[in-house]
Amino acid sequence: MPVTHSSSVDPRVDTHSKTDYGSGAEPVFELLEVSKHWQGEHGFVLKVPQLIILRGEKVALVGYSGCGKSTLLDTLAMVLRPDKVHRFKFYADQQKSLDVADAWKHKHMDILAKTRMRFVGYVLQTGGLLPFISVYDNIALSRYGLGLPEKKAVVALAAKLGIERHLKKLPGQLSVGERQRVAIARAMAHSPSVVIADEPTASLDPINAEEIMGLFTQIADENGVTLIVATHEWERVKTLGFRRLKFNLDQQETDGTVQATVLG
Amino acid sequence: MNGLKTIVRLSLRDYSHERLLSACAIMGLAAVLAPLLVLFGVKNGIIHTMADRLIKDPRNLEISPIGSGRFSREWISQQAALSEVAFIIPQTRSIAASMILGYQKAGKKRTLAVDLIPTAKGDPLLEKWGRVPAENGEITLSASAARKLNVTAGEIIIGRVGRTKGGKKEQVTINLTVVSILPFEAFLRDAAFVRLPLLEATEDYRDGFGSITFSWPGNSQEPRNRSYPSFRLYARTIYEVAIVRDGLLNQGIEVYTKADEIEVVQNLDRSFTIIFKLISIVAVVGYFASMASNILANVNRKSRHLGVTSLIGFSTKNIIWFPIVQSIATSTIGTALAVGLYFISQVIINHLFGQYLTKSEYVCRLSSVHLMIAFLLTLSLSIVASGYAAFRVTRIEPSKVIRDV
Repeated sequence: MPVTHSSSVDPRVDTHSKTDYGSGAEPVFELLEVSKHWQGEHGFVLKVPQLIILRGEKVALVGYSGCGKSTLLDTLAMVLRPDKVHRFKFYADQQKSLDVADAWKHKHMDILAKTRMRFVGYVLQTGGLLPFISVYDNIALSRYGLGLPEKKAVVALAAKLGIERHLKKLPGQLSVGERQRVAIARAMAHSPSVVIADEPTASLDPINAEEIMGLFTQIADENGVTLIVATHEWERVKTLGFRRLKFNLDQQETDGTVQATVLG
Repeated sequence: MNGLKTIVRLSLRDYSHERLLSACAIMGLAAVLAPLLVLFGVKNGIIHTMADRLIKDPRNLEISPIGSGRFSREWISQQAALSEVAFIIPQTRSIAASMILGYQKAGKKRTLAVDLIPTAKGDPLLEKWGRVPAENGEITLSASAARKLNVTAGEIIIGRVGRTKGGKKEQVTINLTVVSILPFEAFLRDAAFVRLPLLEATEDYRDGFGSITFSWPGNSQEPRNRSYPSFRLYARTIYEVAIVRDGLLNQGIEVYTKADEIEVVQNLDRSFTIIFKLISIVAVVGYFASMASNILANVNRKSRHLGVTSLIGFSTKNIIWFPIVQSIATSTIGTALAVGLYFISQVIINHLFGQYLTKSEYVCRLSSVHLMIAFLLTLSLSIVASGYAAFRVTRIEPSKVIRDV
């Protein structure tokens, strides 16, 4: 478990120095005082007072739908810009770190995209596969984008996930479960540092869900990939070694705004 | 570079995956472009052929004086020196400029009175349709004269000139070699084209003088400054006909030209161009609107997929090529199809009108430059039409679209 920090932050603290998390543990994400506000019927605020995710860790964001899990995942994936950020650092690997807050501020979207392509994988609830290219090409997308050879990685992952006979098919010819396997392979194909998954097994039957979640964590463990999974079923991931992040929901009396606070 | 390459590949894969929609877009383009090409081809072909006929036809370059005047050799050579004038030759008195031609073939003798028309090297009428007599004893006949005499090129005929001198009828004859025969369209009347010395000698003989050149008897004459009642003049191009005409009118010489006919074709060209522009504008606006809405609808339909590519980490500046590449594909294939349809129409149209045309003439034609311009215009129009769609791509927020089912 990471060392808990005081939530009050002295602004004079050098935010660019690495914090020691003890026993050689390194952070992948460091977020301090990050919030995102959504307009809507009642309004919704996601607040992240502090969130530190360590390299190789498996983190489960647990909560009901609408509690802000997807908002947090998209923020971590650097595709959703928070309204307020005190500190948001992404340690892509041992050498590279990115001040995400700074990149947002200066609109360095290409840097964010590039970092995402190289170091992040994302699994959506319903595949998010491109229907007009083959399973093989879907899995290889990041590697194509990075200019990496793709054959070995694609075939190895497909074998591990049991989808090698589907490689030439289009996603539309696959079952929902098979498509999720493809989505996992795609997220893993370029050996990212972090894989983010939004309810990856929610649309599957329990048996399939169990098997796929097991394979997913196994591949992540084998490759030392940091795994961040949003789920409403804590039971499913409890035994797989996940750390649980909770969302604390409050409704403000004044304007009815729902405030979700992430509790590390 | 890899990112862009991948997006281009994705775009083309999507384009072929959605082949029905792509085919509709291609045919939509061809349906607009092919009729425009045919229209432009016909406009270009007809105007080109008419203008070509006008330009190349010496009859349209001819400027002939109305009535008779007194033109000196000096005046003639002054006109010849003008840059707008291609050819000028003086003409002797029309009443004296005639000859009886006689020809005997298979025992059957034919005679015919013809007008003598002066010619010389550089005569556009003869250089286009026949041969200019190089010697005084050579002659080029009009089609009707040759037919009535039943003579062909290379044969020798006899020319006869008569006069009444001192109450006595006299005549001289000359052997003339037919060097060429003009076709009907070149000259309608019964006429013979000869060199000026023969015409002058004929006129002199009728006036009672003799000719040393042709050994014709008669009074000897002092060298005199001859004046001519008329001339044959050809402007260099149809565009210079009006200039020469105005120059002559300024000297008080009434002339007849084909300037009006030339103007008709030029007006026709202008009107055709305006009509073509109007149709083009309507077609282009319509095509532009349908193209833009197609691309935009496609981007909207594809926003989830584009959001996914953005989520994977492709940058916006690469993803905007997704709709643009498809536009380029549509305009390339659509133009190719339209050009194919155009060529089929061109062959049919030219075949239909073939009987009115010579080998080098067309009713419908476009040069490769025209087709290239059509392609480049279509291409740039398509790229512009995909501009707003590309802009919309930059506005796609992955977090808003990737969870849409």
